[in-house]
Amino acid sequence: MRVVTPVYGIVARDLGRSLRQKGRLFGGLARSFMWLLLVGTGYNAITRIEGAASYQAFVYPGIVVMAALFGAMLTAISTVYDREFGMLRLMLACPAGTMAVLTGRALSATLVGIVQGGAVLLCGPLLLDLTAGQLAAAAAVLAVAAASSSLLGLLVAAPLRSVENFAAVVNVVLFPLLFVSGALYPTARMPLWLRGAARLNPVTYQVDLMRVALGLPGELGVVPSLLTLAITSLVVFGLAAWLFDPEHRFIRRGAP
Amino acid sequence: MSASRPAIEAAGLGRDYGSTRALESLDLLVARGALVGLLGPNGAGKTTTMLLLATLLRPSRGTARVFGHDLVADRSAIRRCLGLVFQEPCIDGLLTVEENLLFAARLAELPKRDALKAVDDALERTRLVERASQLGRQLSGGWRRLADIARATVHRPALLILDEPTVGLDPEHRDRMWTLLDDERRARGTTIVFSTHYLTEAEACDYVVLLARGALVADGNPAALKATVGNDVAEIEGPDAARLLESARGAGAVRTVVRTERGYRIGMSGPREPLTALAAALPGVSRFAFRPPTLEDVYFERTRRDA
Repeated sequence: MRVVTPVYGIVARDLGRSLRQKGRLFGGLARSFMWLLLVGTGYNAITRIEGAASYQAFVYPGIVVMAALFGAMLTAISTVYDREFGMLRLMLACPAGTMAVLTGRALSATLVGIVQGGAVLLCGPLLLDLTAGQLAAAAAVLAVAAASSSLLGLLVAAPLRSVENFAAVVNVVLFPLLFVSGALYPTARMPLWLRGAARLNPVTYQVDLMRVALGLPGELGVVPSLLTLAITSLVVFGLAAWLFDPEHRFIRRGAP
Repeated sequence: MSASRPAIEAAGLGRDYGSTRALESLDLLVARGALVGLLGPNGAGKTTTMLLLATLLRPSRGTARVFGHDLVADRSAIRRCLGLVFQEPCIDGLLTVEENLLFAARLAELPKRDALKAVDDALERTRLVERASQLGRQLSGGWRRLADIARATVHRPALLILDEPTVGLDPEHRDRMWTLLDDERRARGTTIVFSTHYLTEAEACDYVVLLARGALVADGNPAALKATVGNDVAEIEGPDAARLLESARGAGAVRTVVRTERGYRIGMSGPREPLTALAAALPGVSRFAFRPPTLEDVYFERTRRDA
């Protein structure tokens, strides 16, 4: 069980770093509440969604997932900083190797996602009539969503060479994942091509699971959603491990 | 770790990046506890060699063993006895020095109690105790490098690989760094392989490997390498420098010649007097001086000759 020590080391380091980046931590929390309060309140006045008491109630599960998505993915994508400053190469040279490094990074990103999503989830009883069982189920879905998002973040980080691409990634990857997920509007009302894209988006399944956990109607079914997330997570982890292998990086990049 | 095997044995070790041949075919035999300098111009294959030995790259051809462990089959075993220092210090600016060392100890799979003790030892050894609670980003470049050495040696590796570790360091921190590494060698018999462009740093090596365009162009201990240049180096400059060189060649005293911006550096074997007399007879020789050969002479002679 030697491999546990480096994985724990990576998680402890990442969480220590996250706690010292207070601006980023509070910014992440503020983002979710701003969406919930500003966008949610604004659309409450003009939108009625079937099966939901209000637009704010409809969008709430999506905002919980969004908080986890951004928290987990941004933490995972910050691997690009480690790459730029040489820390990643050092980690990849540890005896436990690439898989342990990715496991550690995925775990820490998942924890950050859970904390950020959890803060939004704790406000749930203010918007919805929730039982303790529903909150517990939502917490479990939050963990699944954060884990899935952290792996997606690692996959996104794998080909990135420089922190300069970081902002572009947020706009080109994170927002489309959120917008085409049914978090902000039901996928059933989307045009066919967009609905097809939503079905290929793992975040869609996270949002649908969260809706069901919080007692709202879902579209995709619990078991198919869990299976889809499990399979995509395995594939994404495998791809990320392949892309992070130093050997593969050097083949693509050329001589150091 | 087999106690009887050399630190590094490489036979025909080579590496390609696509169609680019970065390292041709390197044969190496490095004894335990040796201080080994990898020299050569940019693009010579130094970093590739170090990445191969650090198991961060797989060889395209050839074989190598580190402390008896195969470079490809036993990567984890090699990594357990390896400490790495890259050109840029790998110190996390958002963690304290102590946290950085603890992180390194955990990466090296040290159990909790051993890790804590190793961190205390490393702080003591590198005289970083007073800076233990400072964030990495609060350290000056020199202290960051010393913290980086503490980080790389926290698990007491048997082999240290350092890629241009003194780049950007002032003489004081450079001296501190080498003292630390020297202590590590003397106290624990650590084998050290480093690359540098400061050739004077390689003078203290037990073994120097000179690479150019991916190929080994010279290797040996510094004294033996310098002896290949001759017993003296004559530096000649001025309009008559070429004539003096031809005269010296005629006298059969020239071992090596390196063209410089203003003249020549001639590696001489034999007495100084004949060349001194020839130089005195040529009014266009503006500078004429003898000095002992250095590794820089070997470097220029071998890397330029093969250009």
